[in-house]
Amino acid sequence: MGNCFKTPSTDDISLLRGHDNQDGAEQALGPPPPYQERVPVYHPSPNVSRLANQLSEEEQIKIAKRLGLISHLPVGVYDGSSKKGKECVICMNEFILGESLRFLPCMHTYHRDCIDDWLMRSFTCPSCMEPVDAALLSTYETN
Amino acid sequence: MASMEKRLQKELLALTKDPPAGVKVDSQRICTNLSEWTVDLEGAPESIYEGEKFQLMFKFGSRYPFESPQVMFIGEHIPVHPHVYSNGHICLSILTYDWSPALSAQSVCLSVVSMLSSCKEKKRPPDNAFYVKTCSKNPKKTRWWYHVLLNKVERNSVNMYEEERPCDMK
Ligand SMILES: [Zn+2]
Ligand SMILES: [Zn+2]
Repeated sequence: MGNCFKTPSTDDISLLRGHDNQDGAEQALGPPPPYQERVPVYHPSPNVSRLANQLSEEEQIKIAKRLGLISHLPVGVYDGSSKKGKECVICMNEFILGESLRFLPCMHTYHRDCIDDWLMRSFTCPSCMEPVDAALLSTYETN
Repeated sequence: MASMEKRLQKELLALTKDPPAGVKVDSQRICTNLSEWTVDLEGAPESIYEGEKFQLMFKFGSRYPFESPQVMFIGEHIPVHPHVYSNGHICLSILTYDWSPALSAQSVCLSVVSMLSSCKEKKRPPDNAFYVKTCSKNPKKTRWWYHVLLNKVERNSVNMYEEERPCDMK
């Protein structure tokens, strides 16, 4: 297990649980995804890009599973209270009040759009390289 | 795309203001085209490249930082190093499989500098002649098998990338 998973503060755990529920509700009530004229591009493995209609069946399953896993990761809105990182290392911008964030099990936080784009390519935390699915499983076990 | 440009501007500023030892960027020269940088490197004191001057080229694609930049040595003077081919291509895992968006141009410079500084003997990779004749112009298209001594051995990449032959034929 990665180093950054060893010292979770109680604060962060409650944060994670709180947002877990919120996420589900948000997804059920949210507006349908916007109509897209362009065929979306997916990345079944790092450095491999393919249009959605060119994916093999195996890749489609992999992507569907990945989307499912990502939707289990807690999200929230930046309220300025985070004592930890205030910057998203992916776009190198500071978080702005009201921006949508995603919290990884290793406690690293990113903009939701930034990290989701990366997680579709590689299911690891960009900062600590912790595989997200392994960390997800251990979170479930301790709950 | 816009967010990429902002990030590149920040990275350029950071690298100009606070470059790792032996690294120099002329931001003036770059600002016309943010997606292509030339970075000057100088061999570290007390390393076998002491005083030698090299140039690195960075090309940032539209998917940066989700995909690694293309990085290679350019110009007359290519370092003679077991992980650097005579055409400037570098066999360094963070430039492909071990890339993460938390890395930056600065961390790539640091890795290249430390790769040079830690080298004990000037020699080309064993398959240099063959590689240089057959490789793609873009080093990112190479299906590298990392030279085990310097880099972590990569994980599943052998099955995933079929495009080209490995740089190490063993
Ligand atoms: Zn971001
Ligand atoms: Zn992390």
